[in-house]
Amino acid sequence: MTSVFARYGFLMIIAGFFAFFALYNPVFLTFGNQLNIIEGSSVLLILALGMTLIVAMGGIDLSVGIAFDIGAAFAVVALKEYDVAWPLACLIGVVGGVLVGLLNAFLVVGLKVSPFMATLGTFFIGSSIQRVFTNGGGPISHRQMPQGYRDLAVGEVFGIPTEIIIAAVVLLGYFIFLERSIWGKRIHAIGLQRSAANVAGIRVRQYMFVAFIVASATCAIAGLIGSANIRMFTPLAGFSYLLDAIAAVFIGASMHPKGRPNVIGTLVGVLFLGMVANGLNLMGLNFNVKDALSGLILVGALAFAVGQRRLR
Amino acid sequence: MARPGLRKMLDAVPIAVFVVLFLYIGMNSANFLSFATWELVLKQAVPVVVVSLGLATVIIAGGDDVVSGGIDLSVPATAIICAAIVADQVTNQQASIVMALAMALAAAALIGVTNAVLVVRVGMTPLLATLATSVAVVGISRVITESRRIAVGDATVLFVRDGRIAGVPVSIVVTVIIGLAFWHLVHRTKWGMNLQATGGSRDAAEISGIQTRKFVALSFVLAAFAGWLASVFVLARGSGSSPGTEDTLLLEMVLATFLGAAFSPRRVVTVWGAVLGAVLVSALSVGFISIGVNVFWTGCIKGALILLVVASAAAGREQ
Repeated sequence: MTSVFARYGFLMIIAGFFAFFALYNPVFLTFGNQLNIIEGSSVLLILALGMTLIVAMGGIDLSVGIAFDIGAAFAVVALKEYDVAWPLACLIGVVGGVLVGLLNAFLVVGLKVSPFMATLGTFFIGSSIQRVFTNGGGPISHRQMPQGYRDLAVGEVFGIPTEIIIAAVVLLGYFIFLERSIWGKRIHAIGLQRSAANVAGIRVRQYMFVAFIVASATCAIAGLIGSANIRMFTPLAGFSYLLDAIAAVFIGASMHPKGRPNVIGTLVGVLFLGMVANGLNLMGLNFNVKDALSGLILVGALAFAVGQRRLR
Repeated sequence: MARPGLRKMLDAVPIAVFVVLFLYIGMNSANFLSFATWELVLKQAVPVVVVSLGLATVIIAGGDDVVSGGIDLSVPATAIICAAIVADQVTNQQASIVMALAMALAAAALIGVTNAVLVVRVGMTPLLATLATSVAVVGISRVITESRRIAVGDATVLFVRDGRIAGVPVSIVVTVIIGLAFWHLVHRTKWGMNLQATGGSRDAAEISGIQTRKFVALSFVLAAFAGWLASVFVLARGSGSSPGTEDTLLLEMVLATFLGAAFSPRRVVTVWGAVLGAVLVSALSVGFISIGVNVFWTGCIKGALILLVVASAAAGREQ
């Protein structure tokens, strides 16, 4: 019994919240609202997958929000000022993310700064550059953006929102790469014990270098969707996703038999956070109360997720 | 590959960087090296100094590996919620300042104990635990203040803001006393030695008979206490509580504390290093404004600075 609880305890908690929200407000259960939850979780899922890669490798990335912002900024400016075709703008946005990743990779692999301090430094520098560039943080809006770009956030393919499709593709890519390929095995090996991985012949520094770039590029994709959704680049908007991304990764890790960060776990964590946010919204609470409650639920959920693993 | 010369050079980098920066600022702004400027620098630094004392204590007890060792990101949030409680009680509920401070202290104690339980009992990594409590605490403080600024005109708070003892601003005097108390506790008592042993090597300390869990738990309570102390200065500096101040405080605290490690001979976080780090960061902020650097660049300069310091420390360790 204890072992079942230890493995599936968090899923029971999710089911409990689900039942509570469903009973409180019948709208919660409708197909439209469930689709809302999934669609609303897409951006966070993409960011959290980038974070999963870095945490699986034994690091942490505090600059996911910066990669998100720079991706959005590069794409929106390319569209607005240079009038480029929208697929090219997307590519430019991803290149922006790669630049952020390059800085992180250079700091961690080249200068041997710990990932926490390196990405914190990137966060400082990236936030400051956005402030300078926008003269203090004013948004850059682009109302007449090409429909193709706008459709990243609001379009549909075969009746399924594009956002969900993009997130699903990234999810599948990460799943195959991190959980089913030799490269993923090596990344996990580095995260478990770096020196052992090195002795075993894994090119640790190369893997870390590439992983930081891939993670930031992934976050830039989330930034593209975010900017397409509101038709503007809002400076420092990515910061709000940071804690949720970390939380989702650790909730996911707690469901793994060995407590490792993993792609499916991250998906469950993201959907849990999306469900709680949606459910609290439907309860019609005051904005401030809602924020405080979701913070408390986060503490409780994380404590539970980590604590139950110890039962094993 | 021991090259002592290079090692010494790398060791000197952090101090050299600050000396060069201050000389440059001093040459371009005549008033920068004046007494009045440095009084302002110290007054501005006070809240960061006090929260950094709390963070330093936790890092000393938990070890300086940021992800698996000790860190407490919830100290600024604790300071903000204590400031919110005091402001709300004094201004909106007409409570006495003593009563309000007592309530804030209770809240801080609750946060400290929660962090301690999450880390020591539940087994969460401190980074994750304190990040989560920080978000919850900021959320609750928004409920208290309804996300509005609450002005405080209480005499005690105004005294901390404007008062002087023997010509020295009250806030500086009180902070020096708090700093000395933390320094004495951590670096000069048996309790402090055990605390440092716990952070140095958990296993070795455990084998030597130190109850490491107790020390780690107490470090979080002490950090929350520092947050409570800082709230008074936060209130005084802003003449009340304002929402959104926690983010800057958090970043400056982390910057100051880890910068301080660069000045210690063994490159470890120390109490006096954290104080020095906070003062230097504050001096840079004031200095850059005085020579007319666009304020939006200061984050970039601070980020580059911390990276320079940390990278030179990492390179020094390799030599």
